Amino acid sequence: MTDSENMALGTPVEVANIEKELYKLWEADEARTNASLMNFAVYSEEKGSLAKNSDIVRKITREHACRAILVGIDKQAKEKTVSAWITAHCHLAHGQKSVCCEQIAFHLTGRSTGRFRNTIFANLQSDLPLILWWQGDLSNMFSEGLYRRINRLVIDSSDWKNPIDSFKLMSEAWGDKKSLVIQDLAWTRTYNYRLAVAALYDDPMAAESLPTTQKIKVVANPKHRFSALLMVAWYCDLAGWQPSQDLVDDGDLNGSYRFEKKNGELVDVEVKYDDESMPISKFEVISDSVEICISRNKGDDLLHHLLKCSKHTLDTHGQADSIDGAELVTNQLSRGGKNSLYKRIFPKFLDLV
Amino acid sequence: MSNPFREDLVSRSRPESCTVVIFGATGDLTHRKLIPALYNLAIDGELPSNVKIVGFARRDKSDEVFREGLKELNKDVSRSGHNDEIWNDFEQTVHYHQSEFQDLDGYKRLADRLDAIDTERGSKGNRLFYIASAPEFFDDILQNLKDAGLNNAAKGAWARVIVEKPFGTDLATAQHLNQVVNNTFEEKDTYRIDHYLGKETAQNIMVLRFANAIFEPLWNSRYIEQIQITCSEHLGMEGGRGGYYDTAGAMRDMVQNHLLQLLSLVAMEPPTDLSADGVRDEKVKVIRSLRQWDTPELVAENVVRAQYTAGHIHGKSVVGYCEEDRVDPESNTEAYVAVRCMVDTWRWSGVPFYVRMGKRLPKKATEISVHFKSAPNVLFNAIPGASDEGNVLVIRIQPDEGISLRMVSKLPGTSLRLEPVKMDFHYSTSFGKGSPEAYERLLLDSMAGDATLFARRDEVEEAWKFVDHIEQAWHAEENQPPMAEFTAGSWGPEEAEDLLAKDGNTWRRL
Repeated sequence: MTDSENMALGTPVEVANIEKELYKLWEADEARTNASLMNFAVYSEEKGSLAKNSDIVRKITREHACRAILVGIDKQAKEKTVSAWITAHCHLAHGQKSVCCEQIAFHLTGRSTGRFRNTIFANLQSDLPLILWWQGDLSNMFSEGLYRRINRLVIDSSDWKNPIDSFKLMSEAWGDKKSLVIQDLAWTRTYNYRLAVAALYDDPMAAESLPTTQKIKVVANPKHRFSALLMVAWYCDLAGWQPSQDLVDDGDLNGSYRFEKKNGELVDVEVKYDDESMPISKFEVISDSVEICISRNKGDDLLHHLLKCSKHTLDTHGQADSIDGAELVTNQLSRGGKNSLYKRIFPKFLDLV
Repeated sequence: MSNPFREDLVSRSRPESCTVVIFGATGDLTHRKLIPALYNLAIDGELPSNVKIVGFARRDKSDEVFREGLKELNKDVSRSGHNDEIWNDFEQTVHYHQSEFQDLDGYKRLADRLDAIDTERGSKGNRLFYIASAPEFFDDILQNLKDAGLNNAAKGAWARVIVEKPFGTDLATAQHLNQVVNNTFEEKDTYRIDHYLGKETAQNIMVLRFANAIFEPLWNSRYIEQIQITCSEHLGMEGGRGGYYDTAGAMRDMVQNHLLQLLSLVAMEPPTDLSADGVRDEKVKVIRSLRQWDTPELVAENVVRAQYTAGHIHGKSVVGYCEEDRVDPESNTEAYVAVRCMVDTWRWSGVPFYVRMGKRLPKKATEISVHFKSAPNVLFNAIPGASDEGNVLVIRIQPDEGISLRMVSKLPGTSLRLEPVKMDFHYSTSFGKGSPEAYERLLLDSMAGDATLFARRDEVEEAWKFVDHIEQAWHAEENQPPMAEFTAGSWGPEEAEDLLAKDGNTWRRL
């Protein structure tokens, strides 16, 4: 740990004295309000992640009062150690009151599956839900003893180096604990695209055109392949289509897929990847009478919505999803819910993956 | 045809695209509330994609001039700021239609224009008429809508009307207005807007009561001593509002609608479901169960009205009510009212509901406080000097929305001293993100056909029935209950204190 990392994490404390030290922290300044609606744990195996995550948590606490527990792990180290720091993230709520959220940071070294779990569970605020943001691939640290006790798991499958293994672990966790809510940031990145599609299909002519859809074209950044495929899986599931037996995959980086409508007609889906693209830069639906296109130019923070049909054209803009991880998590936490739609389309998504 | 892609995006009824026609489009409500609300819905992606807005008013102006005026104010008042790119799209959906409210031809031209809009965008013809004009035009607007055939929706579409308060000035005018409205639109298509019901904390009253198991068993006369509903405003008659206020008064302006709506949410029985009529059926039963103060003696005994005299607010001198701009110096209109209400139901038998509203009180606040009975006078309460204050649950509607619970706790130390302490939940502290404006929620609900947060005809009429008895006593030729006075900046007249003292109670200090 560098000095600047140490500084960012606050006051070093003995692990056994954390609650006592937190109490002193609050006692020192009566003008502050300590607020917490949840336990928000962030786990990372990446070197230097604690300082980075402390900065992210500072942003998140502006909207979500929580007790933050950061855990950074160096599994390769031979010696088993644990260090802890405490600090508070304070901000003016609605320009009036200084509201603070406490943060406890842990750095663990050596083999630590059980220690990691216990470190989190020993420092939770009682009765509040536990949200765990797991950064990077799910590993053997993601054990049953952990996921059985968390309420919500935040992941970003776009960051996974071994997605097959991670998805497998995730499916097992879901199988074991049906009530576990999993929020994949790759799915969160599609939110405003989904909202835009839904808004355009409010148009009666667009809604009528759905059964005559012929083709779907998606352009995405290769780093966000899963966002593109989640979007495809979502669209096709809600349209009532099934993956066709003659699922086409041309083998190169780009993907071609085929879905079958209820009447047996086929729809081709083409996903192209472009290094210069935003996570998703285009989602286009072509049918007999209507064209729907939602697009986002590089650097834009708005989506362009376009609906063309024989009698009229709709051409508007709407919000786009942030490309900042902290903002995505903030938005996801605001939306809450059971994320049941993600769970429902997940098998279809896995087929595409 | 339904839209499958809306599934699971939002957990409420789905708003349908429509054309919103606003009568009184050049007024303050349109500029400060309605357009910013629609714009913020557009920013949040909540507004159906091809909603169109047509402003209807008397002044002659072009679409461009109308849009420019809306844009300037939107920059100042929009909850989520102003984005030029989104505004540029949004304003393309906004049009202006010039006509006198009494001119049938103007409505026929409006009908043609709406048809053209529907044709242009290929929509099925849903229409939402928002009457935001001065109340004296309600009759003309509704009659002309009917005569122009605008109340009849095309096949498969709907035509709805939103009516702004005041819903009449007494029972007779409310019945007349309701009759005029219902001659033009069916009750199911009529949305009487009371923006208090769109406030987050007002919506939370039902959640607090019916989603938490711990409150409902205590929510009755066995455990509750009294309930107070307070709406205090530090403002007086600034900005020319004296002209309207002096014709209405605190009772008509606030109590008949907002405060009785809050009272009904607090006192209602659990509805059988969360449908609009399920909820409103229960609310109207409460209003219907209010004991009527129908003689001057009963009014004098249970209601206090007052005007403020010159005083100080926030360190500044302010004039008395009768010296205010546009107020009749001989005015007999109340700027303060306190009412002792009795809800004659099994649940609330014997529990007074004290409702007060006043201008020029020390601060702006609206809240409901539920005062529980004290614990028996044994054990800790029998100790000499023990606090006899019971538990109080406070629901703060505005500002600083939240909920607090007062309870008794032992003070640290070797002796046994008990003092009240407060558990406090603040929306602003716990949820960093601001709530949507009440109008945003209510506009979406009306597009979705969900009338739960709108007042139904019978609710309005029952509330007027209760208020009318009091107003009639106040304005009777003889035996008028007195008009009390209080110094501006104080918490109201002595008489209001006496009103509660008769029951052995006091007003909660805010």
